[in-house]
Amino acid sequence: MMGVPYLKQTLLAALTLMVVFTGLAPVAVQAHGERATEPYIRTRTVHWYDLSWSTDKLQVNGTVTVKGRFRLLSDWPDAVSKPDLVFLSNGSPGAVLTRVESYINDMPAQQSARNLEIGRDYDFKIVMKGRVPGKWHLHPVLNVHGAGQIVGPGSWVTVEGSAADFKEPVTTLHGTKIEDLQTFGVARVQLVQLGFGIIAIVWLLWWLRRPLIVSRWLALQAGREDLLITRADDKLAAATLVLVLLIVIIGYTQTVKEFPQLVPLQSGSVYTPPLPESPQQVQVKLIRAEYDVPGRSMRITAEVSNNASKPVRIGEFTTAGLRFINKKLDVAVAAVSPKFPKELVPASGLVLDSDKPLLPGETRTMKIDSSDAAWELERLVSFLSNVDSRMGGLLFFYDSDGKRLISEVYGPIIPVFKAIKS
Amino acid sequence: MSSQVAAWSRSFDMLIIVIGAFLVWAVTHINFLLLGGDWDFFIDWKDRQYWILITPIVSIMMAAAFQAIFWNMFRLPIGATASALLILIGVWIVRYHSWQGMAFFPISLVVPATCLLGAIALDCILVLTRSWVLTGVFGGALFGLMFFPANWIYLAPYFQPVEHMGQLTSIADLIGYTFPRSGTPEYIRIIERGTLRTFQDSAMWVSAFFSAFVCIFVYVIFWNISVAACGTKYIPVGSRFKEMFGSRNLPKGTE
Repeated sequence: MMGVPYLKQTLLAALTLMVVFTGLAPVAVQAHGERATEPYIRTRTVHWYDLSWSTDKLQVNGTVTVKGRFRLLSDWPDAVSKPDLVFLSNGSPGAVLTRVESYINDMPAQQSARNLEIGRDYDFKIVMKGRVPGKWHLHPVLNVHGAGQIVGPGSWVTVEGSAADFKEPVTTLHGTKIEDLQTFGVARVQLVQLGFGIIAIVWLLWWLRRPLIVSRWLALQAGREDLLITRADDKLAAATLVLVLLIVIIGYTQTVKEFPQLVPLQSGSVYTPPLPESPQQVQVKLIRAEYDVPGRSMRITAEVSNNASKPVRIGEFTTAGLRFINKKLDVAVAAVSPKFPKELVPASGLVLDSDKPLLPGETRTMKIDSSDAAWELERLVSFLSNVDSRMGGLLFFYDSDGKRLISEVYGPIIPVFKAIKS
Repeated sequence: MSSQVAAWSRSFDMLIIVIGAFLVWAVTHINFLLLGGDWDFFIDWKDRQYWILITPIVSIMMAAAFQAIFWNMFRLPIGATASALLILIGVWIVRYHSWQGMAFFPISLVVPATCLLGAIALDCILVLTRSWVLTGVFGGALFGLMFFPANWIYLAPYFQPVEHMGQLTSIADLIGYTFPRSGTPEYIRIIERGTLRTFQDSAMWVSAFFSAFVCIFVYVIFWNISVAACGTKYIPVGSRFKEMFGSRNLPKGTE
């Protein structure tokens, strides 16, 4: 072939190097799909609130506690499986933090929970332990059977120190102390499997040391099978078979003697009742919701009725982990911890057509605007591609004593493609 | 056969061994990933029913297939052993490279099981009986039956009882809980959901015997599929196809 000399060799060498470099060096996985879930799931299923991370910096073996509450929205989409079986988990890039404890309503959540009730609230707590140094995004996650992960808001947590210092000791009910769960039993597995492997290698070499492909094929074609399997082969096969059987029988009986009391894998689900239901003191009826595409703004028009005994004002609208705060209401601003991830609290906040308190017994139509690039950054604007174009979220009202009242707001949403002329 | 031809033949053997090893490894591994996957990935999936049932049934597919190829064409009783050994080596590479290297899972969470002893027995029985039917009946049964006790030798310690958050649990469960897998929630495990649970708490032996029974049939099926595949001598290619790709009627000097 004419052309560049050694082209084929050069290409082959480059390809080989590429395979070697990309294949041999493991690259840590960073993404965990926090923005990949469709908006109708994130805005209308699990609403996380009152979230806190006990620290944003910890040492290897140090702990961070993530706790808060979640509301299972009443307008749960038909396309998403109901929360009949859920597992409280955490979202992080691999096992960089280990899970020490987790609870739903103070009930241990080591196993899955069943029959969670839509429209109700649940407390949760997850204690994590630093394992691999680095800066990691840590989310609470509710896995819903049939629906998948519903990821809550995430906060960056820095783990400092050396991964080599990490230890996860445990003591069995027989009193055996295990130094580290990370490495427990691995040497025994490898040693025994190495033993099995040696027998296999001896067996393979016994056959591979002889002339193989062409010679054996020719002999077989000539009907000389007697040359290919000899008496010595038969003897070795019989001896190997006996050896293998002895290993299994003796190995198993010795193991049963060594560990007489074992337990099978533990499974099954637990039920935990939801938190006591608080009366819906502020009723919100959605009249119209629009998403202004060029303006990156959700505009909600709702009829709000105050059935409480005191005047209330809107302090916050939260959906899909975003918190739009009414900055004119001090108690709402104060409810946002300085440690809460700032990217989830849009700077433009919540804009109301009137900030006048809603008096007891009063019903008023209110316009609630939440405008921010966060709608796009969080990939929440694909309402158009959803199977049912609806929105949902929680409205936090505060009465004159600073008491918070939570109401759900949900309904159809209409996209607006042109900038609205004022 | 002259000494030079014998040397060439031996070189050819070596070449085929290397290529064949990769082929056997890849095919066995892909087959297992597709059909046996999670039961072997994680220590807290190794239950007394499905793990014992599924792993040997899936593993014997390629063991039988490669055994048939090597035996029918070269009278080499190495197919099952090679298949089980190469997947074991491959699995360990993946455990360290991908599971630990990329996802930070500790090896204790992802220790693999193996059907290696069953595979060796399968090859030995083929040598002794020279019959795929007898190998299927006795070797297939042994393959399924031996899986649980052979692996219990090193996996039993993971089933010691511990207390965690006021609940009884096994070390295997605790490892699975401690090292989170975001995409693999607890409920996705299929732990002893079935009816193979007579003989009180000896569910594993009921599963092992049932697995042995199924392995016999799976062996026979995959042996025969492999034999049929080996019988394919060539794939006929029409003259139009050849012309299309330029192997016919090419102008002189361009070939």
